[in-house]
Amino acid sequence: MRWCPSLMLFGFLAAVNALSSSGNRLLVVLEDSAEKGLYSTLWGDLEARGYNLIFESPKNEQLSLFELGDRAYDHVLLLPPKSKGFGPSLSPKNLVDFIDSDGNVLLALSGKSTTPSAVSSLLLEFDLHLPSDRSSVAVDHFNYDTLSASEKHDVLVLERPGKLRPDTKDFFGGEGVLAIPSASPHTLGDTSLLAPILRAPATAYSFNPKEDAGSVEDVFATGSQLALVSALQARNSARFTLLGSVESLQDKWFSASVQAPGGKQVETANREFAKQLTAWTFKETGVLKVGKIEHHLVKDDLTVEDLNPTIYRVKNETVFTIEVSEYAYDKYIPFEVPANDALQLEFTMLSPFHRLNLTPTKQTENSTVFSTQFTVPDQHGIFSFRVNYKRPFLTNIEEKHEVTVRHYAHNEYPRSWKISGGWVWIAGLWSVIAGFLAFVVVWLYSAPTSAADRRKKTQ
Amino acid sequence: MQWWQTVLQLSVLASAALPAAAASWGFVDATVSVQTKGAGVGSGLKHDIPSNGALSDPVPLGNADTLKVALTAQEGKSAKSAHQVFLLLQEPASGLDIAYPFSVKGNGKSRVELTWKDLPSQFLSTSDALDASILIGSFGESQAYNAPAFKLSLARGPDEPVPTFEVSRYGKLPEIHHIFKSDPQSPPVVITIAFIAAVLGAFPILAGLWLYLGANISHLPTAIKSAPLPHAVFLSSLLAIEGIFFLYYTSWTLFQILPAVAAAGTVAFISGSRALGEVQGRRLAGLR
Repeated sequence: MRWCPSLMLFGFLAAVNALSSSGNRLLVVLEDSAEKGLYSTLWGDLEARGYNLIFESPKNEQLSLFELGDRAYDHVLLLPPKSKGFGPSLSPKNLVDFIDSDGNVLLALSGKSTTPSAVSSLLLEFDLHLPSDRSSVAVDHFNYDTLSASEKHDVLVLERPGKLRPDTKDFFGGEGVLAIPSASPHTLGDTSLLAPILRAPATAYSFNPKEDAGSVEDVFATGSQLALVSALQARNSARFTLLGSVESLQDKWFSASVQAPGGKQVETANREFAKQLTAWTFKETGVLKVGKIEHHLVKDDLTVEDLNPTIYRVKNETVFTIEVSEYAYDKYIPFEVPANDALQLEFTMLSPFHRLNLTPTKQTENSTVFSTQFTVPDQHGIFSFRVNYKRPFLTNIEEKHEVTVRHYAHNEYPRSWKISGGWVWIAGLWSVIAGFLAFVVVWLYSAPTSAADRRKKTQ
Repeated sequence: MQWWQTVLQLSVLASAALPAAAASWGFVDATVSVQTKGAGVGSGLKHDIPSNGALSDPVPLGNADTLKVALTAQEGKSAKSAHQVFLLLQEPASGLDIAYPFSVKGNGKSRVELTWKDLPSQFLSTSDALDASILIGSFGESQAYNAPAFKLSLARGPDEPVPTFEVSRYGKLPEIHHIFKSDPQSPPVVITIAFIAAVLGAFPILAGLWLYLGANISHLPTAIKSAPLPHAVFLSSLLAIEGIFFLYYTSWTLFQILPAVAAAGTVAFISGSRALGEVQGRRLAGLR
């Protein structure tokens, strides 16, 4: 009975830690512990969602992301460093290794201080580019907060981001406006792993406030090419989020009132956005899980033996079903494919022979069952059922199930009498047999005729 | 009507007072010109943009052309250099935008030059005209200016290829449905029946020929009388062999018919030698 208390303990832990789908150890790297108080609402919100916050200074030499070769933390939240970088324990290589071993990182920058070149080189690993002076700030003379930045225009007042594309899920949308103070903007490289979360408006641009130029003539990037918040989801589904403005997470901006030029004074939605951003980065949202995968022949009375056979025949009618759940904050819910998007099944041998949209057929309490029916191609070989669902903001689904496809056995073809073109040959065969039997009878019992007698006489 | 005039006066006052409180940015003396490389000075197209207004005609820009936009930025009524003087190009279909900063002098005179090389490939691959707006803004209270100025159409020669660009993003891929080889076809049944008739038509011809040559079964009673058992068994074993073949054709397997054919064949061999002995007896007796 020794397992009983440990099982209870496990159940208790599971109940407490059931928030993020990938663990609750959150390392917060904060150089100046005096600044901790500026973000108290954020820490409170994270702790209320079940995270175990561990505050460390990058100067701490004992700090390590790994312990005995395993991750020591599940998630890392990096606030901008004051000194030249995050130090040796949080070098770009260590952080990339951390992401490679499924850790999630949220990196916040600030336009108020120069970003260290170590951080810039970390971002280059992910094809995220900072301006070369690394101290630029995003300004917009059309969408700024007239209450707090009437002169410098560096507090951007932006609508909450909508969907990235018509076929993606909206994890960051909602009512209200965001205040993004002194943001360090960046641009995105051309890779499908990156997705912008919040882009600057078309009228925004970036400039270095330390350069005292009358007007800006050499810009790093302008308008919506500038991203303020971006996300990278690695091939192992680990997440890295770059937030351009760490100030937007401060208590001050969680409850501030802002007023865009010509607009009304409104409360910011920064707190809600920070929740969405941390929840997505730390895998509370947009996490997909595959449940049961079944494939079988189309049949009325299915038994267990009929499921997931290893061999199919060409032109078999086949059904494929896959069960997918999505994690939403604290539980798995049925996954719904966004409009204009599709979960697709490929039946492949080297290249896909079929690529079909899976349609939802059943919904359970926490999963959706998708299925499709198709005819196995008329080509034998080693095929596989593949579901390769990679979308921005959703963890990757990559399923591959191999089956053999054989050709017809000799007794599975239609019989010759079913082929009308073969009737002539069948008639020929049986008429030869009938003729042979008739000949045998005639040969055995035929009496010589007078004609034969005549021939004998002439001889 | 006294109060009417008061309201009117007040509103005139208010409208006059507003720009005074917060001056707004704008521009004057704006021109847009297109010059073709190699052509003489002044040969290209040149339009004046009305102050704080827009051109109605689209401006065509060819592959070898240079677009020049010049303007003087103004804060309120006085010419002044602004921090942001941009020419903003937007592609109406996708909403993509890119801005080109003017080079601004201290007195607000600004100019920008643009060729096809400066445009991103996404813009070059569209056939729609691009929306060109002028952005003028700076720090402080003054209201920034952002309004469409003209439409920029890319004048592409009829034989110039439209550049394409490809980006790879995760998303839905086109559906693929395997195209099956077509099933084997049989000729029309009428033709088949005609050939079957030809095959079966051989029987009457064969029978007629045999009868013409005098084929008969007159010795059957004699043969049955002299050796009834061998003849009956021989003929029925032949029939049985053909019947076994028929069963093989319809349902039996090879290993089912082999013993059956061996048995029927042995019976046919033994009974056949007896039956043929009887036939030989008839020949020796001079009956055939």
